[in-house]
Amino acid sequence: MMAVNWAERISAFSRSPSRFLSGTTAEAFLAELLRELRDDRAAYSVKVLLLSPLCEHPALLCPSDSVGEETALELMSVFAQCPPKSVQFRCHLLLALTSVLVCTSCVSGRSRASQDFLNLLLQIAEDTIDLHGDGAARSVRATACDCLRELEACSPGLLSQRLELLGGLRQREASRIHQAYAALHTLVLRNAVYQLTQQTGAGAEHLKALLGGNTSVAWEAEQDCSLMNDKDSAILSSLILGPMGTVPTLQTGPDCKELRSVLSSLLEDSYLLTPLCQAALLHRLTEVVSMVPGVPPAVFRAQLLRLLGTSEVCLLHTTLLMKCAFTDSLFSAEDEAFILKRLVVLSQHPLLSTPEKLFYMDCILHFPENRPISCGDGDETLPVLLTPRLASALVPTVFNDSATMLARFNLLSLVYLEEGVEGEGEGSRGLAYLYEHLTSLLDIVQSGGSREIIVTFFRAAFLFLFYFCQVERYSSGLTEKLCKLYLCHTYLAPHLINLADQTQDRLTESSWAVGLLKALQVVITKAPLAQLTLQDLSQHLKMLTRVAEEGEIPQTSTLNFLSSIITPSSSSLSGDWRLGNSLLGVCRRLLVHPSLDSLLLPLADILQHLTCHYGNTDIQDHARLYYTLLTTLSREKLAGVLTQGLTEGGRQVKKRSLSAIMAEGEGLTSMLTIHRVEKAIFRLIEAGCEPRGEPQTEKGSDLTLNETESSPVEANVALETYRAQFEDPNFASEVILDYLLTHMEAIDPHFSQLFSIRLHFNPTDNHYEELSDISVPCLFRERQPPKVRLRLKPRRPYPTTLHASAIFTTQDGLSWHTVLPDIHVAFQQAFMSPPAPPAWGRGDKRTLFEGLWDEISSEGGLNDPADCATSLFCCQLKEAALIALVKKHFLSYLISDLSDEEEFKVLFYLPPLSHILLKIRTEEDAVHFNIATDNWQLLPHISSYLLTITSLQEDADG
Amino acid sequence: MSVRALWIISHEKGENVSVRFSRRFATVEHRAKSLAGSSYIAVPEENTVLQLLLTELGLSDSEKSYVALRDDCLHRQRSPAMELRVDGPGKGTLWPVLAISQGPLILACLPLVDAPAEPRPPLASLLSVSQGLTLLAGLQTFLLGSGGKPDSEGLASRLAMLPAILLQVCPLGSPLDVPILGAPATPTVPIPAGNQKQPVWKTGLHRGRAVVNVALIETVRSMQYGNRSRQDLWDVYGTVTCKVRHPGSSLCHLTASSVDNYDGSAFSGPYKFPFSPPLEPFRLCSYTSQVPVPPILGSYRLKEEENQLHVSVTLKLHESVKNSFEYCEAHLPFFNRDQMGVVDVKVSSGQLDVSKEKNLLIWALGQKFPKSREVTMEGKISFSGPTPGPTDSLCTELTAYIKRGGWAVKGQAALASVLATKGSSFRAGRSPCPPPHHHQSVPPPPFDPDPALSTSG
Repeated sequence: MMAVNWAERISAFSRSPSRFLSGTTAEAFLAELLRELRDDRAAYSVKVLLLSPLCEHPALLCPSDSVGEETALELMSVFAQCPPKSVQFRCHLLLALTSVLVCTSCVSGRSRASQDFLNLLLQIAEDTIDLHGDGAARSVRATACDCLRELEACSPGLLSQRLELLGGLRQREASRIHQAYAALHTLVLRNAVYQLTQQTGAGAEHLKALLGGNTSVAWEAEQDCSLMNDKDSAILSSLILGPMGTVPTLQTGPDCKELRSVLSSLLEDSYLLTPLCQAALLHRLTEVVSMVPGVPPAVFRAQLLRLLGTSEVCLLHTTLLMKCAFTDSLFSAEDEAFILKRLVVLSQHPLLSTPEKLFYMDCILHFPENRPISCGDGDETLPVLLTPRLASALVPTVFNDSATMLARFNLLSLVYLEEGVEGEGEGSRGLAYLYEHLTSLLDIVQSGGSREIIVTFFRAAFLFLFYFCQVERYSSGLTEKLCKLYLCHTYLAPHLINLADQTQDRLTESSWAVGLLKALQVVITKAPLAQLTLQDLSQHLKMLTRVAEEGEIPQTSTLNFLSSIITPSSSSLSGDWRLGNSLLGVCRRLLVHPSLDSLLLPLADILQHLTCHYGNTDIQDHARLYYTLLTTLSREKLAGVLTQGLTEGGRQVKKRSLSAIMAEGEGLTSMLTIHRVEKAIFRLIEAGCEPRGEPQTEKGSDLTLNETESSPVEANVALETYRAQFEDPNFASEVILDYLLTHMEAIDPHFSQLFSIRLHFNPTDNHYEELSDISVPCLFRERQPPKVRLRLKPRRPYPTTLHASAIFTTQDGLSWHTVLPDIHVAFQQAFMSPPAPPAWGRGDKRTLFEGLWDEISSEGGLNDPADCATSLFCCQLKEAALIALVKKHFLSYLISDLSDEEEFKVLFYLPPLSHILLKIRTEEDAVHFNIATDNWQLLPHISSYLLTITSLQEDADG
Repeated sequence: MSVRALWIISHEKGENVSVRFSRRFATVEHRAKSLAGSSYIAVPEENTVLQLLLTELGLSDSEKSYVALRDDCLHRQRSPAMELRVDGPGKGTLWPVLAISQGPLILACLPLVDAPAEPRPPLASLLSVSQGLTLLAGLQTFLLGSGGKPDSEGLASRLAMLPAILLQVCPLGSPLDVPILGAPATPTVPIPAGNQKQPVWKTGLHRGRAVVNVALIETVRSMQYGNRSRQDLWDVYGTVTCKVRHPGSSLCHLTASSVDNYDGSAFSGPYKFPFSPPLEPFRLCSYTSQVPVPPILGSYRLKEEENQLHVSVTLKLHESVKNSFEYCEAHLPFFNRDQMGVVDVKVSSGQLDVSKEKNLLIWALGQKFPKSREVTMEGKISFSGPTPGPTDSLCTELTAYIKRGGWAVKGQAALASVLATKGSSFRAGRSPCPPPHHHQSVPPPPFDPDPALSTSG
């Protein structure tokens, strides 16, 4: 029961650790695993299973080094208690321990647990007494060696000090597991020599000491190596990297007997190993010999006969790497010719698997020549010895599987290209063969080949063009054949478009792709319409869409084709949405075609026809949109709007439009929808502190400055004249506020240049009328902020807050919506001078003031007496402070003379019809602000206003 | 020289795909991380790998005729290594992924790149690639057997053995060996401990009589035009498999030489090789060769008339070939047609089996050709069955071929004659000193790209 449960859980974990751990935590799962591992009742077969998460995902289960350390200690105690006969479990425990310690960096940090584990492994490796004689202990020993090797591989230099010990163990072991000791010994040797090469001044003596286990020779590897592998992963990397790779060397002089004897002993026994281990061992020894120039590569000679004849891919590979390292110091020219010939033969041997053959072909293209000509920068190059005759064993045939066929096609193309494809030579004949082969493939596709054949054919065609598109006779022949093929099998449209795209991308100087598209346009538009199926038509439209992307290709025939298929006589289209969309796709590309001017009328006709007659509303709408765009936007603008959507994301959009049905609208959608910016981009700030409140309607405002003193009129006459102006409801009904539109600090540079900004305001209460939108042509971060004038029309002149938002366009043509910080309109911002008739002088205003004052005080007159009110506001202010206050806040509204310091008379007009009158006098105890207003509801606002300014003035004085 | 992860996937022609086994090697992954530095791409979870792998192998979305990611013409599989383009967090390209696919199984692994990651090193510079290929091939043979088609139960039981097998052959991501096929040879004794080291590829010593079994499988592929102006083409290849029961630890000796006439190289031999064979059957050598004439000359004519196919076949055994077989069969498959209806075909010798659901005629020729060494088949086939038969992209319309279903040659004599005539040299799979494996191969002239496998009447 439990076992089934665990098997399921472990397999669920291994299928998707992330999903498994979303249901629990790594910590809890690890604890569960460890508990079960310690449980004596659990079967060992289950326990083996429990170790697999630790082996495969140690870092996930032990997220920190300390957890790794604890887990390792736990596992070691489990190991100590485990009976020797549970071999499988003991082996898996060692593997799990290795994984946990390596992946939590306990090993590279030389933690306690990792030292203990290392000692445990060495102890197992050294304990060669097999008590039971059944080989059980041997398996554990082999695994211990594997673990030691992995520790050394992950933490190079870890075992350098034990080199002699390991060499001895290897030599003494006669049973089959000497292989494990040999692999371990070789790797430790390689890493130790590498470390010596990194030490300045290290030489023969050091090498000797290392091999002899003589640690009395000062060699501070212990601390060095841990430093080295943290910083430098070069030691992990293979040293045999081709002609350009550099190998660090250790100068020892010719006498390095000890190393030679170790090498020859390892090599002598190498045939006893499995091919995989032989290959690894030889590779490590190749690295060692290339690091120590004192040892001649000839030490490998005795192995060569065996290696050159092998059928094991890894052994031949290691031989090639050896050749790469030692070139002609180990391999004669004859060897080189033989190896190449062998590679060619193996590349086509019918008994080898396809991946092996492909690998051998890859080896031919990266053949390690004794005298490399190219610098071996990783590109494919042909070996000089690969003649067309030799390579002819690898000519592609229709019987090849597709991967082999393409690899051969590529290789042979390189061979013939090298020979020269003009004239009568082998290259030219070879090319003729390749072309013939390509046409055979085409014939198979033509006669209804499978998807795999189709894809293979197009890949081969691409290769052919890639190498030979300059050979006119073939490339134009291919175009012709492709067109014929397309007419028979219109479902190949996406493949052909892909071929055109890729050849255009990769062969920038060739115009083959345009030629193909032009030819396809011809065959599509010339083909008789009568046999056209709906399927064909939709493919044709895809094709024409791609054709229309080419500015060089005239589009008249495309338009003729479009108009002939939408005319009612041939209308099988009825109202298919997809088809309509494909039609619009072509139109869309035509809208941005460079020759649009000449296409304008027929294109407009087609769009109009679609708008009126196509049997699908969505398509009609889209067509109408295109029609409108075409007929109303200028060419530049049209191109601006449409190309943006097309090229956005490069080719990807193009591809998407082939597969995704909605794609046609997509580019446009992004152009036509308004994107939202989360953060505010700009705001309105009050423009300067110029005197406000001179409404433009008040023409005579200038006059107030002229000290014209006309004869004062009667107060009630003045009032009447004044009030008569308000019969026009629009008279002086607006408060005008000036703002500057400025960028917020720290915004995306994408928004530093904005255009066509339309500001929209929403009052938060109903004290003001709705505002109309305001347009600002542009806003550049580095220029003067544009002025924005708000015309507020109060119903009641109370302080208010306005919400503001804006729609604007960025340079890339996208539209955005943003919200501005709220605009607070203070009470005093609604203050204005009374809109006196133009002819009035200062005296008339004084008369007006007195008239109003009397009227309000007497609670009579025209205003509803219920609205009139008087009040008194007092405060402590020195005389100078009072004058400063008046100058600062009331100057524009002052009716009395500034020089008349006894009593200041101030008149505020607040649209639409309110007045506040102040008489300010300094009494003995305080300054008295006598207030009279014809709108008592303003009293709280005016008193809070007065309180603010007077207290500010006090502070300023204080 | 290690692999980061291993996956075993089963599928039925791209359907019912599932990961049957997977193994990640955490310590190798740890090394991959330090080697690749900032360009490190972690191995994604199983399902992601599966999807990417299927796309890369062209097995995904089989109902769609074109998928950009799968069918891009730029995307060339000219090396055995694939790129998996991982999306989402940890985005990047996982390379080099090796995969081998046979029957219902796909085996894949990701070898460690033990070289600077940028620029991408050539595949040929990474020993882990050939190691990975060997491991995959070994596992494939273990799982499928050499026949290549196990029943699902057999496969499941072998998959269940994999954890124990991997402990032996690839405990920590570095492949050490390939799984050994079949039960260990009996009866054996462990090699006595001594100073002489035991070959790893030999599990013990044989007790009993010395026995040597040799099996040869040779395949001849031939294209015959029946046209004087076009040269017929054929090639020959084969494998020699041995099972040697050799008592004690003494060595066998094998003499080999090359008769490759245009190869005057130092490797021509003759060589005498001391040779200690393993206990299991092993492939002694593989070869390719050219024989002067194809063993059977054939003529195959098809003519289509009113939904009936007129078939006419003549097969002639060459004089140089011994007229004695264990069995001999000719297979005539028909593709891209409806299922067979009426088959009215007469043969001059042997028997005809009709497999209507496979659209296949099997002509059993028995153990020998008649004295004239010539057999004929003549008749009409109608294809009027209710369902379409098998398809093939090459054999369309009147293109068809004859395949010799089986043709086993009896006894040792044939082997001797092959060895004598080919002079092929030998290579032992696990032998200590295999001689140079030599393929005698004259590069054939290019095959006709549009072969007339059958000439229409």
